[in-house]
Amino acid sequence: MDDDVFKALADPTRRQLLDALHESNGQTLSELEARFEMSRFGVMKHLKVLEGAGLVVTKKRGREKLHFLNPVPIRTIYERWVSKYAESWAAPLNQLKQDLEKEE
Amino acid sequence: MNEREPWEVVDGRAMAVFEIYIKTTPEKLWEAITDPELRSKYSFGVRVESDWAPGSAYSSGVPGAVEIAAGENLEVDPPRRLVQTFQALWSEGVKGEGTSRVTWEIEPVGTSCRLAVTHDQLHEGANSELFGGWPMILSGLKTLLETGELLDTPGSLRYSNAS
Repeated sequence: MDDDVFKALADPTRRQLLDALHESNGQTLSELEARFEMSRFGVMKHLKVLEGAGLVVTKKRGREKLHFLNPVPIRTIYERWVSKYAESWAAPLNQLKQDLEKEE
Repeated sequence: MNEREPWEVVDGRAMAVFEIYIKTTPEKLWEAITDPELRSKYSFGVRVESDWAPGSAYSSGVPGAVEIAAGENLEVDPPRRLVQTFQALWSEGVKGEGTSRVTWEIEPVGTSCRLAVTHDQLHEGANSELFGGWPMILSGLKTLLETGELLDTPGSLRYSNAS
């Protein structure tokens, strides 16, 4: 599952699609397509990859399909792959800041 | 994908969707959602209390210290489906947001379960704090059920020492 998420994120158009949904959730294909200089088919293909990775979830509204951002896989990646490394940097820096402030 | 769409998708912008796959059984997942002790282990230390009868009330928080949310259990169908009204109580800012709705759906997929949390009936431009905690909660729930461990990322147990 992590592999699918990393692969899905490794493309600028797909990251832009996530940003577009973050800005305005629950958009139709037509609404999303209007934001990109790309064919409907191209946008659809990218949405499929995002759906496959669980980053986009669709719901039906009548005949329309609405696309929702699912941020949970990104959170899971953050917990496994980001916080561990980022915090090991942040902790000594915070300590340094505190030490410096004490000396003042 | 869903056999029945419980929500009326009137305005997609008034709705947020969260999904996660967890290697567990529907029964264990249901227990983790409704048991106050288990719930506190992945919900920022917050317990949820209710008798879980359809139409009953629930409240979540740290007793005597902080109130987080309250509402009614509109539908209770263990171990598949729980629909609740949601009134956030953790700050003056969110108290004014009114009542929204949270639907929990559990669907077995092979040896795992797909858990979908749909937070809808939000008003347009709703404070994103209302639903911003779900990714951390669901990620913590997965970690708890699959490894027995608790998340240790900053803030993940922020209320656990509140009482």
